[in-house]
Amino acid sequence: MTMTSPPSAWLNVRGLSKRYGACSVFAAVDFTLDLGHTLAVIGPSGSGKTTLLRILAGLDRADSGSVYIDGQDLSAATTQTRGAVYLYQEPLLFPHLDVFENIAFGLRVRGLPEVKIKLEVNTLLGELALEGFAQRRPESLSGGQRQRVAFGRALAIKPALLLLDEPFSNLDAQARASMQQVCKRLTRHCGSGVVFVTHDVKEALIMGECYGRLDAGRYCAYVDRASFCADPATGVQAERAFWCDDVARPDLTPRPWIS
Amino acid sequence: MKFMRSASKQLFATLLVVVISLPFVLLVLLSMARSWRYPALWPQSWQSTQWTVFQDEWQTLALIALRSLALAVSVATLATVAGFFTSHGLARQRQQGPWLALALLPFAVPPLVYGLCLGQGFAALAFSGHYGGVVLAQWPCAYGYAVLICHGYWTPHHHALGELAAGLGARPTQIGWRVHLPLARGLLGVCLFQTALMSWFDFALVRVIGAGRVQTLTLTVFDYLAAGDVRQAASAALLLLAPPALALLIAPRLLRPAPWWRPSP
Repeated sequence: MTMTSPPSAWLNVRGLSKRYGACSVFAAVDFTLDLGHTLAVIGPSGSGKTTLLRILAGLDRADSGSVYIDGQDLSAATTQTRGAVYLYQEPLLFPHLDVFENIAFGLRVRGLPEVKIKLEVNTLLGELALEGFAQRRPESLSGGQRQRVAFGRALAIKPALLLLDEPFSNLDAQARASMQQVCKRLTRHCGSGVVFVTHDVKEALIMGECYGRLDAGRYCAYVDRASFCADPATGVQAERAFWCDDVARPDLTPRPWIS
Repeated sequence: MKFMRSASKQLFATLLVVVISLPFVLLVLLSMARSWRYPALWPQSWQSTQWTVFQDEWQTLALIALRSLALAVSVATLATVAGFFTSHGLARQRQQGPWLALALLPFAVPPLVYGLCLGQGFAALAFSGHYGGVVLAQWPCAYGYAVLICHGYWTPHHHALGELAAGLGARPTQIGWRVHLPLARGLLGVCLFQTALMSWFDFALVRVIGAGRVQTLTLTVFDYLAAGDVRQAASAALLLLAPPALALLIAPRLLRPAPWWRPSP
């Protein structure tokens, strides 16, 4: 099931392992990703998805294995120089900065001229449908709006790699669907490689172009969408059975909670 | 209901003003009373000769007050800066308990005993009798206090904000200036204020380590008291209370965390 990586792959993760004391989080994780593509990784809670993203972002260290981006080993690279932005499950905004300054943060620390910052941020505000919110404080925004700002802030610096840790899990169904589309559109426009972690198989199918599953400390990479859907462990078949058989034909398979 | 809430608010504010101003009123009365014997609630006769101390010794007292202020500001600044960085390092440790207990250690020993313990070593190193020596002696207590106060800032949320800033390309100094400093402004203000007060009101360490060559306003008040001049002591005590009272008045504005911070372009 594990796919062999082509040498031309932009992101190469080789034999990544992580332990916390005696407890192994995952071992021998291998996968690749091409620039501009989105890898959706599913897995149950506690399977090490967040740890994997934190290692890719340089926030945690792996016990063994290596990460290459564009052929360069990132083992010695700091969080600042990796060009990888990790987006938390909660839309984490700087509470002392308004929406404009939150989005401008990465540009300001790079010392870009004010004119360029204004141009970039205003463009992003427009793309995120946040034009009238530039001066608003983070606590006055809704969950969806906060997530948009967090996205804008990450994309403003045009990161090479975007690491999304279940970013829409706290949103309602409508905001979630809207954010999924915004995210797809903007990451495609930005051209970044994206690793999208979720426990929702439907979201994985919407967001991903290639797929992986992390479970019980083992990573399984799928060659294509069909093999991902065919594997019973991913839960796609169970989901399909529910929507096609249980919901569409309730008369054939009555369920007590439906009646 | 609204009226009741507003009235109780006003009552609380009035009580607060009374409580804060009571020591000042008492000190003014004490300094201007010629005779005030128990059980009289009010001085029987008045005189203002005690206030001439400020005319006669104005320059000396002003110099002592300035030196005390410099001493307090030095101790507070050094302790707060070191305490903030130490608490950051401490928050990354898995075993924080022993380190926090170590920060509490200066408070477990009475200042006089602590001063006596330091005294010999300080004398041998020629630190006694200098303002620098007093700063050095007062610093561990203030530092321990600052570590304990600043430790509360390093929550997982604030850590995550720092990591986020690093991911966006901010260097450690930029994370400090652009993220942690604005967020911790209120807490650092409280820490500065409290540690400055610890130094400002300190008597034992200044007496022991200062070896009579370091004079602060607290010592001056005590010297007046030791000389049996309660009225003169009351007059000087007013000066001693003035900076903390002034700081309390402006503190709400200074100590408020910056909710709306915009870096200059």
